[in-house]
Amino acid sequence: MKLKICGMKYQENIEQVAALQPDYLGFIFYEKSARHFDTVIPELSKSIKKTGVFVDADLEFVIKKINTHNLQAVQLHGNESPEYCEALRHAELDSASHKKDKNLKQFQIDEKLEIIKVFSIKNEFNFDVLKPYENVVDYFLFDTKGKLPGGNGYTFDWNVLNNYPSTKPFFLSGGIGIEQTLDIKKFKKSKASKYCYAIDVNSKFEIEPGLKNIELLKEFKNKLSNNKMNYNVNEKGYYGEFGGAFIPEMLYPNVEELRQNYLKIMAEPDFKKEFDQLLKDYVGRPSPLYFAKRLSEKYNTKIYLKREDLNHTGAHKINNTIGQILMAKRLGKTRIIAETGAGQHGVATATVCALMGLECIVYMGEIDIARQAPNVARMKMLGATVVPALSGSRTLKDATNEAIRDWINNPVNTHYIIGSAIGPHPYPDMVTRFQSVISEEIKWQLKEQEGRENPDYVVACIGGGSNAAGTYYHYLHEEDVNIIAVEAAGLGIDSGESAATSVLGKEGIIHGCKTLLMQTKDGQITEPYSISAGLDYPGVGPMHAHLSKTGRAQFMSITDSDAMAAGLELSKLEGIIPAIETSHALAIFEHKKFKPNDVVVVSLSGRGDKDLNTYIDYFKL
Amino acid sequence: MNRIQTKLKEDKKLLSIYFTAGYPSINDTVSIIQNLEKNGVNMIEIGLPFSDPLADGPTIQASSTQALKNGMTTEVLFNQLKDIRKTVSIPLIIMGYFNPMLQYGVEAFCKKCQEIGIDGLIIPDLPVDVYHEEYQAIFEKYGLINVFLITPQTSVERINFIDSISNGFIYMVSSASTTGAQSGFGDEQTNYFERIDKMNLNNPQIIGFGISNNETFRQATQYAKGAIIGSAFVKHVSNKGVNNISDFVKSILN
Repeated sequence: MKLKICGMKYQENIEQVAALQPDYLGFIFYEKSARHFDTVIPELSKSIKKTGVFVDADLEFVIKKINTHNLQAVQLHGNESPEYCEALRHAELDSASHKKDKNLKQFQIDEKLEIIKVFSIKNEFNFDVLKPYENVVDYFLFDTKGKLPGGNGYTFDWNVLNNYPSTKPFFLSGGIGIEQTLDIKKFKKSKASKYCYAIDVNSKFEIEPGLKNIELLKEFKNKLSNNKMNYNVNEKGYYGEFGGAFIPEMLYPNVEELRQNYLKIMAEPDFKKEFDQLLKDYVGRPSPLYFAKRLSEKYNTKIYLKREDLNHTGAHKINNTIGQILMAKRLGKTRIIAETGAGQHGVATATVCALMGLECIVYMGEIDIARQAPNVARMKMLGATVVPALSGSRTLKDATNEAIRDWINNPVNTHYIIGSAIGPHPYPDMVTRFQSVISEEIKWQLKEQEGRENPDYVVACIGGGSNAAGTYYHYLHEEDVNIIAVEAAGLGIDSGESAATSVLGKEGIIHGCKTLLMQTKDGQITEPYSISAGLDYPGVGPMHAHLSKTGRAQFMSITDSDAMAAGLELSKLEGIIPAIETSHALAIFEHKKFKPNDVVVVSLSGRGDKDLNTYIDYFKL
Repeated sequence: MNRIQTKLKEDKKLLSIYFTAGYPSINDTVSIIQNLEKNGVNMIEIGLPFSDPLADGPTIQASSTQALKNGMTTEVLFNQLKDIRKTVSIPLIIMGYFNPMLQYGVEAFCKKCQEIGIDGLIIPDLPVDVYHEEYQAIFEKYGLINVFLITPQTSVERINFIDSISNGFIYMVSSASTTGAQSGFGDEQTNYFERIDKMNLNNPQIIGFGISNNETFRQATQYAKGAIIGSAFVKHVSNKGVNNISDFVKSILN
């Protein structure tokens, strides 16, 4: 089915929307519309049909617009008569697309002006009115009958089209938004869609009238096209075979509330505004994309570092906690819980709770509390209560269990801020979206520095995988970008002391999602090992499990000793002391050869301050 | 007819007991089951221990950790139970988390249950819609009844859906909590019990979570077909061993 995006207004936005390759772009030439178009259409790809939308306009006016803007289609939204359509069909057109070849008596088929006639449907419709138009228009378009000609923002009952008597292809329009994806898929399978030629969208994909939300459109387009491999979550919460929500009934209402609201809330203009503002003024974004000259020279390739370590609180974690605390507030929650391993996510959560004045309880394994005293002190200074997890192995996975148990016991007032791209749907997707600011920035920053948005490689370390998910997000479907995921091999893959989930893990269920996880033959979850406290999680986010399984990402594993050496190397070559998690990603240059002209972007996910003791012990500093 | 369905037809309130297999000692499983039946318990939930029991409070967590340390596995449990139907006739249900079943193979697991004479399963982290779409046919093929949980937060619509998928009983979680949480029921719980009772569902309800003594057992069974005791029993065998089960059951029923 074709896609028409209507109500275009702003130059830059038009170009961005055109980059999504819709089949039709609509420009409204009607002064009373909030989306009235009165400027110049930028140069567009030939595959996109520029469509002028008119409401009872004079024929001369329409013809003038066709010629000026080189329109390929005209959509008639008023009470235009069949005669009017006929006249338009035979009008002398003078634009580049329609100019008659002097030697030919008629237009070539593909240059013919397309005429689309609109009819509005409420809950019923008398299809007899279509008859006189059958031979004078190319398509019908059905939208919702409302106060205004179009743009009323709600759908009509598509079952009405079960009685469609014609064989003329039609556009389906009227209030279609991302939430109709499933309905559209159902509709496609029904008899009523037999002659449905295109889907027409407008107001449901806008930030303000005429300004389209690119991300939302992109997502809608991805969801509608089944033929291409999809690396994003599907409407049921799965990445391929991974994901889902394997949760006890006690958690169902909380998770369902979030699932139903998260996309809607994230698309709200004032949510976006507040999120962006905080990322800028509080977190310090955009984080620099730094060309690491000496490191590049050493490895004879072009290495860029995305400096998430310069964020407030010293890592990428804050991107997600800012997003989730705003989400929690909009859901009316007053109490925040979180799990933490090394304490980085705990600190990031305690920070945003202090910022918003919300109660904060952080669960942390008893063993980690002893190992990570400075972060425990930070959380306490920020006003959080740190609760030791005493069960199981008393580390991150048990802290996660305890946080989930807390949520079961406090279902109404509490929001659980999960720190990685894990957990039941919608958490992996929500966390990924909040972290996707990383790759969003890389795109324009790289364009400025290298003249192209796409690097040859994006590289990130993976525990649960939130910084990696954010680093990959906008590149998942860019086939020219290679994705490298770096896991912690610990003392070595075969040593029994490792955290390389993609190699050692098997499909199973951990913390509410189906993914790859390290477990016994009997399905008991085992304790991983890595020198880096942020990478020793026994599972991996479901998106990464999918990237691994499909081969979209290349997974590499790096041992403790290689990572530590890479951390020291970056410190000496570039004056940046990285977190040990990040050091794993940096260690790949010793193992993989890149070409001199390759552009390799590494997510520098966190700074090394928190790891100073480990570095001191390891290097006897 | 499945033993659970037959038992539910009896004209009396039912006491169901949960215990963790392999706890306190690895080989206690069979003697606990036999003792429970002998002392008048109507139904038993055999807990298959899991490393990460999300829906359980400290008592059952600790018993699970110990049971795993003792060497309990799915295979070991099935071996222990292979002759159980020679001596025990009340309904037996296996309660456990989904991952160990997934690793064993869902169909292989169900088949083994049927061979042994297990009547049903309770899998807290297998959501009703996933069960319905992917596993219901397998469960039915092996004559197993799957039991779903509802909580005070479960919507009416969802309760009705769960009721339509169920063919044994509905496990009514008494309050928003993990297992073994509180003592005694307040108005909030009794209102909820009453509300569900009045829905006249197709499947009878059995209440669990927070039932620990004669008083809470009576309160719960005033509104429901039966009640399940887990943590309190696990505590009891932990303190008194497996030879004093009659004391425990008497204290509940009298």
